[in-house]
Order: sequence, then C-alpha cells, then structure tokens
Amino acid sequence: MNILNWNKNFNRLREAVSTQAPVDLWRTAVQKVTWQGVSVALLATVSTVASMDAAAVPLFARQTGQNCQACHAGGHFPELTPYGRMFKLTGYTLGQRTSLPIAAMAVFTSTSVNGGTGTMANGQPTFNTASLFAGGKLTDSIGMLAQYTYNNYQDGTQSGHMGSDNTDIRYAKHIINDQTDLIFGFDANNNPGVEDVWNSSGAWGYNVVPGSTGTGANQLPLLAGGLAQQAVGAGAYLYWNKTLYAELSGYRTGDGVFSFLTQQQGGQGAYLQGTNPYVRLALTHDWGTSNAMIGYTYFDANVYEQPAGLYSGPGTYGNTGGPVDEHRDNMVDFQYQYLLDPNVFTFDAAYTNEQIFYGSGGLGGAGGTSDSINEFQAKANYTYQAHYGVSLSYFNVTNTDNNGLNAAATCGGSGPAGVGQCGTEGWTPDIYFMPVQNVRIGLQYTLFNRAYGTTVNATANNTTMLYAWTVF
Amino acid sequence: MNKAILSAVLGAALLATGCSNLQSNTASIRDLNDPSVSGHVLAEQVCSMCHGVGGNSINPTFPRLAGQQPAYLVEQLKAFRSHDRSDVAGYQYMWGIARSLTNKQIDELAQYYKGQIPVPGQAKNAGLVAQGDAIFHNGVEATGVPACASCHGPQGHGHDGFPRLASQHQDYLLKQLSVFKHTNDRYTGLGTMMSPVAYNLSGDQAREVAAYLSSQP
Repeated sequence: MNILNWNKNFNRLREAVSTQAPVDLWRTAVQKVTWQGVSVALLATVSTVASMDAAAVPLFARQTGQNCQACHAGGHFPELTPYGRMFKLTGYTLGQRTSLPIAAMAVFTSTSVNGGTGTMANGQPTFNTASLFAGGKLTDSIGMLAQYTYNNYQDGTQSGHMGSDNTDIRYAKHIINDQTDLIFGFDANNNPGVEDVWNSSGAWGYNVVPGSTGTGANQLPLLAGGLAQQAVGAGAYLYWNKTLYAELSGYRTGDGVFSFLTQQQGGQGAYLQGTNPYVRLALTHDWGTSNAMIGYTYFDANVYEQPAGLYSGPGTYGNTGGPVDEHRDNMVDFQYQYLLDPNVFTFDAAYTNEQIFYGSGGLGGAGGTSDSINEFQAKANYTYQAHYGVSLSYFNVTNTDNNGLNAAATCGGSGPAGVGQCGTEGWTPDIYFMPVQNVRIGLQYTLFNRAYGTTVNATANNTTMLYAWTVF
Repeated sequence: MNKAILSAVLGAALLATGCSNLQSNTASIRDLNDPSVSGHVLAEQVCSMCHGVGGNSINPTFPRLAGQQPAYLVEQLKAFRSHDRSDVAGYQYMWGIARSLTNKQIDELAQYYKGQIPVPGQAKNAGLVAQGDAIFHNGVEATGVPACASCHGPQGHGHDGFPRLASQHQDYLLKQLSVFKHTNDRYTGLGTMMSPVAYNLSGDQAREVAAYLSSQP
C-alpha cells in the first residue's frame, strides 16, 4: 500500500513505454490485457479462495470475529466505516488475541497504456505485490498493524524486493460513560498520514488500487506518500465525543535503530532535519444513516537536498549536512458516507497545497526561491450488497516551475519531447466485484485530460487496468 | 519543530494515561475473551461503538438497545453465540462479538441496557404513523395478521422474551420484518412466531407499523 512505489512503478512503465511506440497497436494490447488478464485474475482468485478455510480471513477479522464489512464501508477496503475508525483509534485492541496474528494480501494486475505496448506490465498479467500483515491486539491497550511487502514488479523486471511497508503501533485508552466519551492515545508509525482514519492522505488513500496509475507521473506533495518508509514519527491524539479529533506528531529520519521500519525498496532516500511536525484536526458528525467529516492537516518537513554522503559543499557530510528544502503541506479534506445495507455510498475530497522553500539549489533553483504543488482529488463510490461496486475519481495536480520542478526527470518520468511540465488531470472510473468479502476483482480506466502539463496527446497516457486484490 | 511543545503534549498525555490507570484498571478493557470483564465495561468499551453508550444508536444498521427486555437480549446474544441467528447483519457483526461471552456477561449486558433510557425517533409522516398505530393495536383482519400489541404490549414495550419495539429505528424494524418474511435466519426461539406474521404483512403495512413504533416513547 505504498503510493510512492506505485508511482515509481508507473513511472518506470511510462519510461519503458515511451521508448517503444506503435501507438496503433494498443488495441492489441487491450485484447491481451483483457483475455490474459482475466484468465490470470480468475485463476488466481479461484485458487486463493479455494485454499482458504472458513477461519482463514484477515488478521483483524480473526481478532474480532466480524466480517470485513464491519470496518470497511461496503467491504470496499481500505475505506473505513465509523466503527472501523473507532477500532483503529482504540489501538486495534477490540476483540480477542488470535493464535495466528498474521494475514496476507496479494495483488495481481494487468495494465494497458494507450500509447504503448510490449513492456512487462503492459498487456501482460503481473503479480504486482504481496504483503504480510502482523500484529493486531497485543495487550488491552496496545495494538499494531505492521505490513511487510514483497514488491514483485520492480525496476522493469519481475525480480522482487521485500521490505517494511506501512507500520502503525498504538497505545489507546477510551474513557466513556454517561458524561464523557474521550479516546486518547499514542501512535508511532513510518509514514506521515498512515495513522489517519479517514483515508485522505496517501498512505491508505482509497482512490487507488496497488499497481494503478494513481494521478499519473507528476510532482506530488510529501503528504501523498513522499516519506513513506523514509521517516518515523510518534505523537499523541485524542477523539472527543465522536466530534473532535486532534493529533500532534513529529517525524524524523528513519535511519539507525529505526532502519527496520524504513529500509524498503532501495533503502533510505530522504533525510529529514530534526523533528518535523504533523498536525491533524477533524470535525465529525453522525446522523441517521449518514456521517461526515471535515478536516485539516498540516505537515512541515525540512528535507536535505542531497542524501547522506552525497553533499559536496562545505561543512559536514552525512545526514546532518548540506542545504535543506522546507516542504510545507496544508490539506483540507471532506468525507461523506451513507451506510445502510444493501446500499453504501461514499464521497470524499482532499485538496493539498505544498510550498517548497529551497535552501540552495537542490532542484536547480537558487536559495530563497520557492515552488508550489497543488493536488486535488475527489472520489464517489457506490457498493451494493457488498458485492457490486462502481466508483469515479477525479484528480488535478499542478505545480509551479521556478526551480526546475517541471524538468522531465523530476516529474518522475520521461514526458513528450519539448514539454517541460508536470501537471496531470483526469478521471478514473472503476467497476468491481467482490465474490467473497476478501476478494475484489476490478476493471479500472484512467483517462488523462492533461499530462506533463499539456492536453496535447494526453490520452496517450490513458490506462486500462484489470486487477484481482485478495486478502486472506 | 518546537520540541518543547511536542514534549509538553506527550508529557501531558502520559500523565493522563497514568491518572486513568489509577482511576480504574479494568475500565478500558476491550478484550472479548476475558470472562472477568463485566458486562457493564463491555457495554461501554465495545458495544457503545455501534449501539451508543446509552443504547441509543444513531445508524439504523444497529438496533437501539436502551430499555430492551433482558430476556429478549439474553436469547439473542445466545443465538448469536450459537449461530442460531444468522441474518446478514447479525453474523457480520455479532457472531464475533458474542462468540466468547459468558452467560454471566450476557446477563449483565441485558441488565445494563434494561437500565438505559430510550430516546424515541421523530414522526416524519403523520399519515403513516396513524396507519401503523391501527395495525399495531388491531392487526389486519383481511390477511390474518394479529395485533402486534397482543405480544409486544399496548405501548410496544415488550415483556419477557417479547422485545421492546417502541423507539426502535424504522429502518431496523423494516429490515427485521423482511428477514422474518423472506428467510429462516431468525427462526429460533420466540422468533419462530414472527415468520407467519411478517409473511402476511404487505410492504406498505410494514412501513406503516415501523414508522409508528419508531416514533413511540
């Protein structure tokens, strides 16, 4: 569940695709994606389901004895219901300790990009990622969710890499009686936003399936997964009267003793200066079959421009030396849910503005200059009987270009010749089917109105993806 | 980042943790496999997440339990535990919750909710409520539906194993009438009596009686 890696995969795919070409052959690829992908997805699904016994459901379901739908809206994981949020906020401690405190997840995808054919992930089924989850209820007040991911498709090959993925450890108390309802707790994690229960930031954002294009090749704010498994953080939170949520956490470089939480795919890439604040506020309200949230997130991170050992300027080397870029993120988000069996409808939107203040010339700009990134995402999702679903997402990402942010390399891909922009805009419709609670098979199409800052030939980035997502 | 602020917040939270521990060692236990935890604590720490701390839930997926008849709650919790009650929402949510409850905890839970004060819903459609009132007290002679009040009491407060229906969510009542009418998922205990009743109740009549009951104190 690491958006950074999904984006990396997508960007690598893009690079490979752009060096191939015949655009008019894409239909062949779609046919391949359809038939080969369907075969593999179904085979994988059937074999997975067939190998499960009645008790073989995911970690938390085993702990609570409940179905996925109890915590995930319409069973559409990872999106949380109010009860699922309470489960997480009370430290994953509801239920009973299990003798098998692990679960696994696997994602199979088959992708076809409009403008290209012939790459490993393009038109051919791909075993994308597999994750092992461990943890759950540890004591009456302490619980955790630790994800360890095997990223099968990396560096354009099927050679896999294993590493630590999202990890969230909590201590929580719930003071509740006729007069008071207060949850408070402490949290330690390795991805700013992974602790959030409204799925708005990148860590558990529910507008993407592992392996999907997400918002395409662009510059995203750090909150969108930029420090996933690069930083470690700890903080305190409270949730009062099911109305007000407040959290203050601090993040630092996840090196040294924390390396086991951060050395994922490719090791430590980002180094932070000192401890960097993460603030989360949310107002929530439940009424009848509905609930809504309006929230705000602030994250201010000082990131060294060069990784440790690479800084060649004066002064000390290593992760405490060199010029620093400040990334200041402000996010506002909104969520609405309608929950009444057999209908589940959800809508969410998040807008993030990131201001980057350059310390020197790390990205090509002079010290004292700045850039900004704006990311808007919205999604509507409907699930019927927790089996059939359809969703529509919209994304719009733009950035300024004072300091080379729009250079093709910093966009994370190789854009069309002569185009020096990063922004993307588009729509992602998705239809899916959940034959059983822990399997989702879906077909997703991402339509780009704008890519690399231009509408010209943007549709060459359009992507069809068939996926089978299993948790067991 | 101002480390002093961060330290102050963490320190204050740690202090609060210590105080709460002094206050009570068991009040924050959400362990469903610990027979030493009282039904009262379970009601507050676990059940309240869906049913509300006073048993007046907000989302109609979850029934209101405030003022419910203890004998009925005991029978239902045991039916969840034994899987004799298997309606969809029941097994999705309640089989796991009830799987390790002891009889003592079940009795304590039933007494806890009996002591809570029910909050009635708002009557949105006076016409529906009036029709429902008539069905509840007189039945439907043409289709042989008996008066609901004959078992559930003239005010819908229930008695013994017959559940309290007054102030229950309209959508929850409708869902359960549908379960009784179309499935055998609740064909256990006194629930067996409801199948023929629900079978003869039309969709409109079910909506009317549910609207009436949800508005009653």
